[in-house]
Amino acid sequence: MTSSAVPYNLNEIGKFFLLSGVWLGIIFGAVWAACWAVGMLVPQLILNAYPNDPCALNVANAIRLLTPLVGVMVFIPINAMYMVLAERRGLALFTVRKGPNRVGPDGFLQTAADAVKLLFKENINPHGGDVLMFTLAPIIFFAPSVFGAIPLLAAVTSNHDLFKIVNLPTGIFYVLAMSSIPVVGIVMGGWASNNKYSLVGGLRSAAQAISYEIPLVLAIITTCFLVGSLDVVNIAQMQKGTDNLASFGFLNWNFFGAGAIPHYLDLLMQGKLEGAQVVTSAFWSLALAFCCILLCGIYLTGACAEINRIPFDLPEAESELVSGYNTEYSGIRFAIFFLAEFTNLFIVSTVAVVMWFGGGATPFPGFLDANTFASIATPFNQALAQAGLPPLMDGQTMSGAFWAIFKTYALVYFAILVRGTLPRFRIDQLLDFGWKKLIPLSLILLLAVTYIRELV
Amino acid sequence: MSVELSSPDLKTDEMIINMGPQHPATHGVLRLILTLDGEICKHVEPVLGHLHRAQEWQGQNRTWFQYQALIDRVDYLSGMYTSWAMARAAEQIDGLVVPKRAEYLRVILSEMNRITSHLLWLGTYLIDLGAMFGFPFYPFREREKLFDLFEEVAGQRMMFNYIRIGGVLRNPPFGWFDKLKRFTDEFPDRIDEYEAIVTENPIFLKRTKGVGILKKETAMAYGVTGPCIRASGIPLDLRKTKPYSVYPELDFKVQTMDGDGDTWARYMCRIREMRESNEIIRQAIEKIPGGTTEELRKLLGTTGPEKDESKDLDPSFLLMAKKQNAGLRVKAGEGFAAVESPRGTIGCYVISNGSDKAYRFKWRNPSFCNLSVLPELLVGAPIADIMAIFGSIDVILPDVDR
Amino acid sequence: MFALVGRSIESLYQVARGLKTVFKHTVRPPITKNFPDDMPDLPGHFRGRLALAVNPQTSEHLCISCLQCERVCPDKCIQITSHKSPETNKPELIEFKIDHGLCMFCGLCTEVCPTSCIINTNDFEMADYTRESLVYDLKRLTLSQDESAHYFAKKELPMPKPKPPKPAAKPAAPAAAAKPAEDKPEAKPEVKAEAKPQDLPAAPAPESPKKEEQ
Repeated sequence: MTSSAVPYNLNEIGKFFLLSGVWLGIIFGAVWAACWAVGMLVPQLILNAYPNDPCALNVANAIRLLTPLVGVMVFIPINAMYMVLAERRGLALFTVRKGPNRVGPDGFLQTAADAVKLLFKENINPHGGDVLMFTLAPIIFFAPSVFGAIPLLAAVTSNHDLFKIVNLPTGIFYVLAMSSIPVVGIVMGGWASNNKYSLVGGLRSAAQAISYEIPLVLAIITTCFLVGSLDVVNIAQMQKGTDNLASFGFLNWNFFGAGAIPHYLDLLMQGKLEGAQVVTSAFWSLALAFCCILLCGIYLTGACAEINRIPFDLPEAESELVSGYNTEYSGIRFAIFFLAEFTNLFIVSTVAVVMWFGGGATPFPGFLDANTFASIATPFNQALAQAGLPPLMDGQTMSGAFWAIFKTYALVYFAILVRGTLPRFRIDQLLDFGWKKLIPLSLILLLAVTYIRELV
Repeated sequence: MSVELSSPDLKTDEMIINMGPQHPATHGVLRLILTLDGEICKHVEPVLGHLHRAQEWQGQNRTWFQYQALIDRVDYLSGMYTSWAMARAAEQIDGLVVPKRAEYLRVILSEMNRITSHLLWLGTYLIDLGAMFGFPFYPFREREKLFDLFEEVAGQRMMFNYIRIGGVLRNPPFGWFDKLKRFTDEFPDRIDEYEAIVTENPIFLKRTKGVGILKKETAMAYGVTGPCIRASGIPLDLRKTKPYSVYPELDFKVQTMDGDGDTWARYMCRIREMRESNEIIRQAIEKIPGGTTEELRKLLGTTGPEKDESKDLDPSFLLMAKKQNAGLRVKAGEGFAAVESPRGTIGCYVISNGSDKAYRFKWRNPSFCNLSVLPELLVGAPIADIMAIFGSIDVILPDVDR
Repeated sequence: MFALVGRSIESLYQVARGLKTVFKHTVRPPITKNFPDDMPDLPGHFRGRLALAVNPQTSEHLCISCLQCERVCPDKCIQITSHKSPETNKPELIEFKIDHGLCMFCGLCTEVCPTSCIINTNDFEMADYTRESLVYDLKRLTLSQDESAHYFAKKELPMPKPKPPKPAAKPAAPAAAAKPAEDKPEAKPEVKAEAKPQDLPAAPAPESPKKEEQ
């Protein structure tokens, strides 16, 4: 191989990470500042101004309740902007290019410029299309991803006070229910475009979403069943490990068998296992871990299909269907489609992180955990307290948010890598793969997990 | 278990879709009128001629000297071959014997061109299959390197205007052969990389294996040439079957594939041809009379290119058998010559009446003949396979319409 | 069943191999260039915008109005206006127009030019707002002395001999004939001193000096 002769150039990688770091800092700083202002600052100011006034108390509480919505509203557009840029720069890295590096410092504002451009473009209604449905389609495609993201806020912030209210006992079901609505938007868009390519794209999307929803939901159900909870916060918290198991770090994640391996190691170290039990327990623990890895794989595959990412981007198959359902879209409507696609990618990654990768749990105990962040936050909080303002953040939330974001973006980057590598399925092969491979496999796993769970 | 779809209550309609002429995957301006039943293609009607530029007529209305510059544009991805076919036809009429060095330069440059053409095909084919964002850039990276070499020797990246009647335009500049040698050394590794990504990729295999099967008989009946027919198992390669130029002196194999001749075989055949072309270039660099430009200069004891060395020169070191000038004339007569281009056999039939213009040109273009087999392959294929099959034939529309 | 599992594992391995190969490319240096900031290094023979060179030593205009480029151009994009100089009875250049919107950059005109006057420069950035502005006239076409010297060196063209100072003089006087006016040679352009014998009656075509025959 002559690849050793290739000069290694870390310049572009460095630029990529710098750009990512700055963008992510801005995104989450902005979101947190907005949440802090709406959820803490304003209510406290109101209460300070009108102490002992029941009306003011109600108003303050009402404003507090708006926090999650404000958070999501601020978060989604900026985040999608960053993700588009990250994808373009990431793909450029994989394809030995430089990527957009002209607008702003080193391409920093490229997507902002694109967004502005799209905003000012003309909205074209296709001749003979159904204008009402055509207009509604992007909204129906986009809105569920906004609402679907809300319960996850509680999970990734370790159930912070402000986000407690959005936590549902059946949170994961809510997310799944929301994530299956966008396909209606795609079909509507495809139909209303009065374009045969769009129609085929829309119908493909429907077929695809229906067939991949099943393995996806089965994978999640199995994991919920294993964990014994539908509550996203609960699922995320459990993966931190209870009591003495917490020291096993990432082995507690559902990805490695929902705590089976730490449990086994714990018993082994305490000497509670004897004879053949040492081997059989180990076997079943590993089997459970293997099942969980498969489940996660099924989920990620199904999620890729659900959000129309390569290799499952059939609805927009550019070389066959000329972008499919969004062929006729332009201007802000197209921007919304675009935005929603990336938001969906982010949300499915977050769900995967919450379900399998430990949510906000740190992979190595003691590494960048709540204490570390608390020591960073304390000076700020003290300064604010002296000014009579509410504390800005606490270590628990910061650590949770940091790790959840880190893991989510790791998955997003993986999706970008996949996008840079794989070709596209054909529609019949796709359905074949979904119905004949993934669904049986997920059913088998459901049975296997119920059985193995009792043996571990 | 069979489901009766055509119940009287269920009304199904065939849908007619216009694919092209501005479809992103038709590689130009081909229009396919598809009759679809669901996603299955029932009937295909290719509509040609959107890019008709009357190349034959232009040849009859321009002097030989002018037409040489124009003919690269017929098949813009492998311009060397069209020039070569025309040059050979004219040399045949005129009875010119092209000097050895010129022949070797023609072989080197046109094998380079074969590689660039196949590389472009590889990238765009993967785009057709949906790997839109990553892989296609890799073949283009190598193609770019070759284009830089073309630029140095011929002046432009695609419209070379390099092969002339009676020889070639000029010697490569200093250092050119070294660069080319370096490229041939590293290129096999690059092909290995492409293959690591593509060849055994399960999705790629699913998309291509058993898709668009071109039987030997069909291929022969339609006059398919090039990698398409070799992938169907017929070793038709003019470089071997009707050797021309210095190909008999070079050691290479005709790459054929066993089996059905599906799109995967066509892919594989092209990959192997690229390796083979690389080998040919390597050999040709070794064998070229006079060696590299530097060696030739040393041999002749000259330093600058401007000095006329034609007096005491080994005739095989020349570049031109006949002086080229604006009034270039070809003797009266008729001739036909064919060369093996990346897409198949390019044939050129010329009648010359002895003036500085040809009396009649007739081109046999591989893309046109290969395209004619398309409806045969597409009927019964799902819409997604249309692009997979069409792409695998590797048609260049200017070459079809001329 | 086992075959299926085997196939699945094989598929996963192949996908992983592809992902690895793609991921490996992250550490390779980018092949793209920041175009306007760092311009490509073009070879001398690159066929870019057409231009008219002046004598690099004396800055005389090299065009002798022989009309060969106009005649050979396949696109007919060259338009030369000249008239016979009453003093010398030799053609004299008045206007030279090239429609770059029509030109296909085949380089034939540069090959037939007997004085290496018309050359392909390395300039390729010719985008313009109107079609009219793509028609270059003599003023825009003529290169400065430095540019001409640059291209003559880069293309390894033979240095043209300076023109004779006096109308009727034979090529005796070498230099010292540097005319003050750079283009528009008022006086009698002449074919290079050793004008080749014309081998074809129809098209007087002296061999291009660029042909390097070896």
